[in-house]
Order: sequence, then structure tokens, then C-alpha cells
Amino acid sequence: MPAPSKPRSDASQPSTPASPAQTNGQLIVRMCGLAWAWRSQVLRCVLLQLILLALALSGLGLLGLGIDVIGHAFDPISEANPDGNKPPNWPFDLTPPQDWAAMSKVGFVGGLIFAVAAVRFVLDRTSNIWIALLVQDIVVKLRTDVYDKLQRLSFRFFDANESGSIINRVTGDVQAVRMFVDQVLIQVLMMAVSLTFFTAYMFSLHVTLTLACLATTPLLWLLTGYFGRVVKPAYRKNREQFDDAIRIVSENAQGVHVVKGFARQQEEIEKFTQANTKIVDLASWIFWRVSVFVPLIGFIPQLNLVILMVFGGWIYIHDPSFTIGMLVVFSGLLQQFSGQVGNIAQLTNSVQRSLIGATRVFEILDAPLDVQSPDMPTRHGRPRGDLKFDCVSFGYADGTEALSEIDFEVRAGQVVAILGATGAGKSTLMSLIPRFYDPTRGRITLDGVDLKQYELDALRHSIGMVFQESFLFSNTVAENIAFGHPSATREQIERAARIACAHDFITQDLEQGYDTLLSEGGSNLSGGQRQRLAIARAVLLDPPVLLMDDPTAAIDPETEHEILEAMGDAMKNRTTFVVAHRLSTLRRADLVLVLEKGRLVEVGTHTELMGTGGHYRDAADMQSADDESRKLLGMAEMPREVHRPAFGPYVNGGDA
Amino acid sequence: MSDVLPSAPRTSSDKPGGAHAKAITLVRRDDDREDLRRPLSWTLMRRLWSYTRPYAPMRATLMVCVMLRGFQVPLMAWMIAAIINGPITDKNWSGLRWGAAGFAAFALFTYLTLHFRQRLALQLGERVVRDLRQEIFAHLQRMDMAFYDRTKVGRIISRMSSDAEAIRRGIQDVLFVTLVNIGHIGVAAAIMLWYDPPLFALVLAMSPLIWMLNRYFGRRIGVAWRQVQESMSRVTATLAESVSGIRVTQGFVRQEVNAGLFHDLVRDHADYNVRAQKLAGVYIPLLELNSQFFLSILIVLGGYQVLHQGFFAGIAGVSPEMTFAAVVVFVFQLPQFFTSIRTIAQQHNVALTAMAGAERVFALLDREPTQLEDADAIAPPRIEGRVVFEDVTFGYHPDRPVLHGIDFIAEPGQTIALVGHTGSGKSTIIKLISKFYLPTAGQLTIDGVDVRKLETDALIKQLGIVLQSNFLFTGTVLDNIRVGKPEATDEQVFDAARRLDCLDLLETLPNGLYTQVGEKGGSLSLGQRQLVCFCRAMLADPAILILDEATSSVDTMTEARIQKALEVLLAGRTSFVVAHRLSTIRHASQVLVLDHGHIVERGTHAELLKQGAVYANLYRQFIHATDA
Repeated sequence: MPAPSKPRSDASQPSTPASPAQTNGQLIVRMCGLAWAWRSQVLRCVLLQLILLALALSGLGLLGLGIDVIGHAFDPISEANPDGNKPPNWPFDLTPPQDWAAMSKVGFVGGLIFAVAAVRFVLDRTSNIWIALLVQDIVVKLRTDVYDKLQRLSFRFFDANESGSIINRVTGDVQAVRMFVDQVLIQVLMMAVSLTFFTAYMFSLHVTLTLACLATTPLLWLLTGYFGRVVKPAYRKNREQFDDAIRIVSENAQGVHVVKGFARQQEEIEKFTQANTKIVDLASWIFWRVSVFVPLIGFIPQLNLVILMVFGGWIYIHDPSFTIGMLVVFSGLLQQFSGQVGNIAQLTNSVQRSLIGATRVFEILDAPLDVQSPDMPTRHGRPRGDLKFDCVSFGYADGTEALSEIDFEVRAGQVVAILGATGAGKSTLMSLIPRFYDPTRGRITLDGVDLKQYELDALRHSIGMVFQESFLFSNTVAENIAFGHPSATREQIERAARIACAHDFITQDLEQGYDTLLSEGGSNLSGGQRQRLAIARAVLLDPPVLLMDDPTAAIDPETEHEILEAMGDAMKNRTTFVVAHRLSTLRRADLVLVLEKGRLVEVGTHTELMGTGGHYRDAADMQSADDESRKLLGMAEMPREVHRPAFGPYVNGGDA
Repeated sequence: MSDVLPSAPRTSSDKPGGAHAKAITLVRRDDDREDLRRPLSWTLMRRLWSYTRPYAPMRATLMVCVMLRGFQVPLMAWMIAAIINGPITDKNWSGLRWGAAGFAAFALFTYLTLHFRQRLALQLGERVVRDLRQEIFAHLQRMDMAFYDRTKVGRIISRMSSDAEAIRRGIQDVLFVTLVNIGHIGVAAAIMLWYDPPLFALVLAMSPLIWMLNRYFGRRIGVAWRQVQESMSRVTATLAESVSGIRVTQGFVRQEVNAGLFHDLVRDHADYNVRAQKLAGVYIPLLELNSQFFLSILIVLGGYQVLHQGFFAGIAGVSPEMTFAAVVVFVFQLPQFFTSIRTIAQQHNVALTAMAGAERVFALLDREPTQLEDADAIAPPRIEGRVVFEDVTFGYHPDRPVLHGIDFIAEPGQTIALVGHTGSGKSTIIKLISKFYLPTAGQLTIDGVDVRKLETDALIKQLGIVLQSNFLFTGTVLDNIRVGKPEATDEQVFDAARRLDCLDLLETLPNGLYTQVGEKGGSLSLGQRQLVCFCRAMLADPAILILDEATSSVDTMTEARIQKALEVLLAGRTSFVVAHRLSTIRHASQVLVLDHGHIVERGTHAELLKQGAVYANLYRQFIHATDA
């Protein structure tokens, strides 16, 4: 029999809180605080549960009473009939009037049983709904809070956490936190009271019998504890194995070209067989244990019954006040009691899960907002767009320096092109301008004022952004263009679309024009169409500064010119930063920055840099059509040395 | 209930356009959603049952356990009642001890039976599902490319996960639990009938009510939970987009708006939740009320029987003692009886889900791949690489051809460049060469042999394919390169990378060629991924090489490096290159320009430029784009 390997010490182990800042104690105090905010709702739920419990007990007691009433009526015990049935013990000495017929008493008890049940039904329903309302209120509040905070966190947070984990905090972890209220707090209160209740009630019936019957309780407790410790982790492990197998399936479906292309079918089947066998092996191990423990947990209450019968029977024989009905009640009580003890294991499990959830949820709620508006922002009208990088360095959390001592200046309306290999720091440089990150050293000024002096939202409103692969939301075209300004009119949206050369394809190619619903990631549009929508989105608010992070990267050269035109229109009268590799764009720039490993290695105009013969010239040469092809096409040769007016009408006072 | 339903989120149709944002993400309902349940079907059940045949001894033992369990549970309840009615009432101490000992022994026996019943059922189910998964996977490997073109990955995965899971539960629980509970009901009914027929008649009258309550609420609660799930999927979809689009959100200062919209969405989900809880909140207490109601009736009627000799006064042999004993027996039997009815009703729902899963899994297994080779197909020896298209027509749907009369010859060692707009048929030609599909009409021969006469696997082994979507499997870079030739040694892998002059680039990865990639590993840049795929093809050393837009997603700085690797790779092989960047096809032996499935121009780069037609225009456009 294969033993499962040791469970990984993953985050779900309660002993390793994710954030050292908060101990379990602190977390529990904090979650109690959460419950305190809903104290009246919590309290009414607990009270109702207690009433329900009392009613359940009285129902059980009444059943026993009913049996005794019947038994005593037809075969009463007496001196002459020592084997007869004993008189019933009416609760609280509330004996019904002597003149009632036996059948009336029976009918009375039967009626009471039903009345109690009816009240229980009503209250039970109410209780379920109250708890549901409480739970949902807490969940809505927590989800909204976490989401709200998430949206304000700086990108450092999103860099450090996988999106799956972030999503899970708003979905699963929030549920785990509220579980503390309805499944821990309320349960603990309930259980404390109910166990006391049960024990007291049983003691009131018979002290020694109670003790004897409860003797097996610790055993039950130990078993459920063991089950949780040993089998649950194995289940988790099994789940991971299953995920591994599914991953193989998924990779095979996605990479079917590779599998078939290299005729790998047999190897893949073997790989899957191994994964599949692993699952079944561990599952067998688990099943063996499950089928030992689960029936055992049902078996122990049966042992209690044996004790009850032997010891209870002995008491019945020797104690004149102990009745058959009481035996029936006792057996019912024992069942309830075992149920509650079983719940304790469930409870510790809930506590663990809510603690893990709480660390992860509070981690977000407590995360400092490291990019914030100043307390006293300097008020400006629309910025002109003069930007200056003053010896700016930037490092990520892990200590790697992404940008070192970047120093340059642009005037309003100029176009800056940034060139460099993957990972050279181009995108990082751009994300400093809207303050997605703050520089670790140095400062950036807009119109001579440090970016940190501006109100953050106003600053970002005055910067338009187009990303490498523009993220479009699954929403209508109009909603996507108006993303930054939801109350924009249709005219404003269309004007932005025209600037971005998008109006034509929106109205002609899309079935419902501006109301066309985009599918996930805008996958029902071509890359060029997506980018033009992104450009429209960026220019809707007519920002003085425009950032474009390689918008043509994912686009076919055949359709590239459509975007280039849109980009050209969008750049008019704006300070523009554009990451680009295409010569066409580089030529237009007033300033070209060449980055290498976070350093500015070449700065100048296209013409200047072509003259120096560095990396820039290599990259440029590789892209240009060869002279032979040009000749064949009857075109002029590459005008490499010729100085051209870089950007013609688009540049205001360019110094190219 | 008068509760107002939370209104479903509005669709975009009623919106004048951009007045105010109404949602972050509009989730569309999947039109071809799969059925969650199917009615019980004998055919499906028999087919599922046949999967247990390899485990016949286990199955037989299990059936014995099931039958034993059917008797045991009601008998235990009867034993308690009998001990109370007998030795305890009679104050028979030694009888009581024997009775209790008997009960304890019987309980132990019951425990052992239950252990094996559970264990065997779980293991049987798991094995059947393992065999099913194995069969599905092997079947998937046999399926043709047309299947993968049309089927979403998610669908394929759910055959393996949720559907297989439903079947597992169907086998592990439904079948055996239902049988056990039918046993319970039968035995409990017999015991009650034996003790007191009129009282039992009353029980019987109640049973349909419990069954109907279960069905009624079961269905409504099911619907309510589905709505809860749907609203949750809206929440998750919005959340996922919010996280992926966080740059856009912050860049465009949408936090406030999004937070408000998200709150509405979460509230909506909560309302559905409360609604489902309200239904469940009636149902379970109602069942409890039901059995309490019955107990109270039992007390009253039982009392009437005992005290007034009831309706059966005339029947001989019914004494008050016996009726009293019957009441005690009923008190113990009833909960079991009603619970069993409930359990079967619940299992019925699980069974319907299992049916839906089984139907889909079998539908997949019954689907035969298109036959791509004739019966007398041969495994080609080392291929020279002469590829000839003779008037080839092809359509994914026979009546809508996407290639028309394609005619060309690729001599061994030549590089053929395919040029044309998206949708012009470039990739389809590539797929035909790779034998993912067969031509609808015309002939495609390799080294003079029709592809139908070539064994698919053997042919594909001699092809090297590098696609735009350069897919890497979970594993190390080394493993991924080795996909091209599983028996290659580490040294051969390194050598392949060296020959492509990119070993140094791969060695700069965190762990060099031993770096983990794929879902669990770190991600490589597009350029690095592309290099891995080139190495894979290099290692496989194919006679025919296919590059489908292999360099289009790489930045210029890296491209320069890849170009060199490419030249090494292409040397000495018949190569088919689809490229967007016209600069990569300047040196092709032959350029085929495609438009709407027709070859509109063919020749070398220089010839086509001289012709000054389609290709020349494309190239001019390209020069304009780069020169501006």
C-alpha cells in the first residue's frame, strides 16, 4: 500500500500564518470585532437557535412522556402487578387533572408534540433566513471593501501576487472570514449552551447513567481529530494529483499541434497513465481509512446504546422512578449529543480555515497605499506637458534595479521614442509618469512641478495611455472607449474614435456599431482594431500627455499602417512617449532614448543616432528594406544620410 | 413566497450608448451550454455497468455487503426496541445481558459490513473512472485535428473532470446507496407490518408526501442554486477582468465607478443566495415537521389502540401489550424509514447528473476520428522532401472550400514562402502538408507518394513544425526540446542549441536549460520560447520543416538573433515558411502569393518585385510602413 508523501507545508497549514505581523490571537480578536459590528443580528440568531434547541428537547421529552402515559394506563404497576408499567413523570410536576381520561392525556401529549413541532418549524425557517441574511451582509461588505482596496493598490502588489490568488481573496477567502461569524462564533456559543443543556437534562434524568453513557465521548472526539489530521491532507494531496492529470489533458489539447507534429501520442498516454495511476493509488489509501473511520464514528454511538441498555435496563429494574419513556428519551439525547461532539472537529476545521482566509483578506485591507495623493496638492489647470526626468532610478521590491539614473527633458508637444530589448526598462520608464510606481531615487517633474505634488487622479486624467496588448473589457465598444469617462456623450465617443481611425470599422464592420459587445479580451476584433479602440479610449479626454507602449507589437505589418495613422493623429499637440521598434515611428520622434539594462545608452534624434553607429543603427538597418529590392521596385535608395524634417506638422517647435 | 426576485443584470441593448457605465464586464450566456441533467437511461446504465466487469469479484463481494446492509440497519433498530419491550419491561436481568451482548455483536458485524461496503464501492468507482479517463485520453490522442479545431479546450477538460466526477459519484454513491436504502425500506416495512398493520398503513400513506416534497423542493432548490452559481460567475468574470485590467482602471481613474458597479454585482449575488437559502430554510424544517407530526399521530393512535382496543378490537390475538410494544418499535423504525425515502430522493438527483456526464463522455468516445490513411499505407523511409500539390481543393466544410486548385512543386531543400492576408489560406496549406487534414479534391504527394498511402504517424515524425503559438509543456527547457526526439541525450540537446548558435541565450535563463517552464514554472519571453521551439525542430532533424509565423511576436533586437538561427535551421531541408514580416522571405526559393484560397502570384522575391503586381504592392506597403 503506497503511503502518501508528507503533505506540503502550504499556506493552508494553520501553524504558518502568512503575515508575521498578526498572530492568530490578533486575527481572532479582529474577526470578533467584525462580528461585533453585526452584534444585534448575531445575537438574535444565537437566541433563536437556543429556543429551537429547547423546543427539540421538549419534543423528545414529550414523546417519552407519551409512551409512559400509554404504558401506565393500560398496565399500571402496583403491588399486585410488579411487572406493570410505571407512572409517567410529568415535567415540572405539572400533573394533568385527575379526572382526565387516560385517552385525553394521550391526546393532550400528542397535541403538544405537534404544537411544539409546528412552532419549531416556524422558528427554524426564520433562523435559517436570519443566518443567510447575516452571512450575505457580511460577505457583501467584505467583498466590496477588498475590491475597493484592490483597485487602489499600487502595481507592486499586482507584480508580487498571481491573479488567481488575488481573485481568490475576494471570492473564497472572504467566505472563510465570514465563516468565523456564522460557523465558529455562533456555533461555539450554541455548542457551549447546548452541551451544558444536554448534560444537565440527562443528569436530571439520571446521574450515573449519564456518566456511563458519555464515557465514549472522548473516543469520538479523538477519532474525528485524527481523521482531520491524517485523511484531510491526503485528500488535498489527491486533489493536487488530480489537477496534475488535468494539466496533462489541458496541455495536450492546447499543444495538440506539437503532440501530433512530433508523433508523441504514445509518450503522452504513458505520462497520463502514470498520473492517473497515482491518483487511484492514493485514493485507495484514503478510501481504506475513510471506510474505517466513518463507520467507526457511527459505531461509537451504538456502543453508547449498548451501555444504555445494559446499565439503563439495570436501573429500570432497580429504580422505581425510572420509566421506559425515559429510556427512549435518553437514547434520543445520546444521538444529539454525539452529533454535537462530532461538530467540534468540524469547528476546529472552520477556525483554521477562517484564520487562513483572514490573514489573506486582512493582508489586502491593511496593505499600505504606497502611491498616494499629497495632503495639499498643488492645483493646476490643464498641464502644458513639459516633462523632466531628474536622475531617476527605480528598483523593484526584490532589489533589482530596473532603471538607473535616467536623465532627460522634453518640451510640451514633443515626441519621445524609446527603444530597447525586452526587459531593458522601457515599460517601467513609462509607468513612472502616471505614478503607477514612484521612483526610488530622483524625481520627475511636469511643468516644473514634482509629480508627487499633483492630485493623483487629476494627474492620471491628464495622461492618456495605450498599452502593448491593450486590455479591453467584455463590454460594448462605446463603454470601452468611454472607460475613463463613463458619462461621455456619444458625440465625444465618436470624435475620439475618429481621431483613432476607428469610427469607420466600428460603424461598417461591426454589426451593432458602438453597441457591439466585445468578447473576453476583445477576441472578436483584430489586433489592429483593438489597438485603435485603445487609442480612442486614451484620447477621449484630450490629455496633454500620451503614453504608447509599443502599440504595434502584436500587429501584422499588413495592417500596421492603419494604426500608425491613428497614432500620428493621436500624437498631435500632445507630449508623447512611444515605445517603438519600427523605423517609421523612430524617424518621427524629436528625441530617441535607447535603453539597455535600465540605463540610457544613447540619446538623440534619429539622424544623430544613425550617425553614431551604435545599437540603434544595427536595429534600424535590420528593418529597412534592402537596396536591391528598392531598385526592383523603382524606389529611391535608403536616404540614410539625408536629414529629413522629422515630423513635419505634428511637432511644435521640435528641435530635430 | 412573495419575495421579489433580484432583477437580472441588464443587457446592453437598452442603452443609448455611454450615458453612464452599467457594468464593468457584461457576461454573455454561453449559447451552447451543456445539460446538467438527463433522464435515467437503461442503455447508459448498462454501458456504465459493463465497466465494472473487469472487477467482477470485487463487484460480487460488494453486492453481498449491500444486501447485508439492507437488513442490518432496520434490524438493529428492532433489536433495541425488542430489548426494551422484552427483558427490560420484564425486568429480566440475564435476558437483558444476553440481549445487549447480542446487540453489541451484531453492531460489530454491521460495522465490518459497512466498512467493506464503503471501501469496495469507493474503490470500484475510482477504478471505473480511472479506466474511463484512460480511455478518454487515449481516444483524444487518436482524434483528428478537425476535432481540435472545432472543440474548445474547456469542453475537453470537463469531459475528464466534471463529467468523470459525476459518473464516479453515480457509481460510488447512487447505485449502492440506493440499493441499501431500498433494503432498509423493505425490511423496516416488514417489521412494522408484522407488529401493527393499521399503524403501518398510516406510515405508508405518509410516504408519497415525503417523496413529493423532496422532488418539489429538490427541483426548486436546484434551480435557485444554479442562479446563485450564474451570478457568482458574473462576479468572478468581472473580478478577473478587473485584476487583469488594473493598469487600465488606474490609468483611467475608474476606481470609484468600478467599486460601485462591483458592489451592485455582489449584492445581486447575495440576494440570489438569500433566495436559495429561503427555499432550503423551508424544506429541511418541513421534513422535520413531517416526522414530528407523524410521531404525534403515532402517540395518539397508538394510545387509542392500546387503551380502547382501537379499530382492531375484534381481531383475535391483538393484545394491548402487543400494541404498546409496537408503538416502541415504531418509534425506533420510523426515523430510519423516512430517512431512507429522503436519501433515495436525493440520490435520484445525483443520478440525473451522472447520466448527463455519462452521455457526454460516451458521445466523445463514440466519435471516430476521420480516417487519414488508406489500409495499405506504408511507413515512408527517410523522406527526400519533394512535396507536390496537384490541383488541391480543400474546405473544413465540404461545401465551403478555402483552397481552390492549388498547384505547386517544392523540390527537396527548397524554401517555399507563403504570403497573403490573414484568411488567404496560408495556414491551411501548412495543415495539409502536416497531414492534419486530407485534401477534399486533387492530390498531395510527398516523394511521389500520395499522402493517403503514407502512415500518418510515420510521416509526421519526419516533419518539423514551429507555430506562432509556441506551446511549451510543463517541465524543463531541456524536456521541451527533447520532445522532438525523446531518446536524445542531454549532450545532443545542448549540441542542437549550439548548432543554432543560441545556447548562450538559453543558458542565461535562471537555471539554464534546466529552468522550469509551463504553468508551474516561470515564464520565458516570446523570443526565448521561440528559440526553444527552434531547438526542438533542430533536434528532431526533420526532412520537411514548417514555420508558421514563427517570428511574428518577437521584438527587433531578438529577431536579429533568431534570423541567424533560422538560416541554420532551414539549410538542407524542404521548408515552408509563413511570415508576416516580408524581410524574412527575401531568400526563399519560391514565393507563393495567396488570395482567397487561390495562388495569385508565384516566383522568386526578385521576379515578383519586377512583375510589380500584388507582391510588389505588399512589399511597397511594407517599405512605407518602415520608412514612413
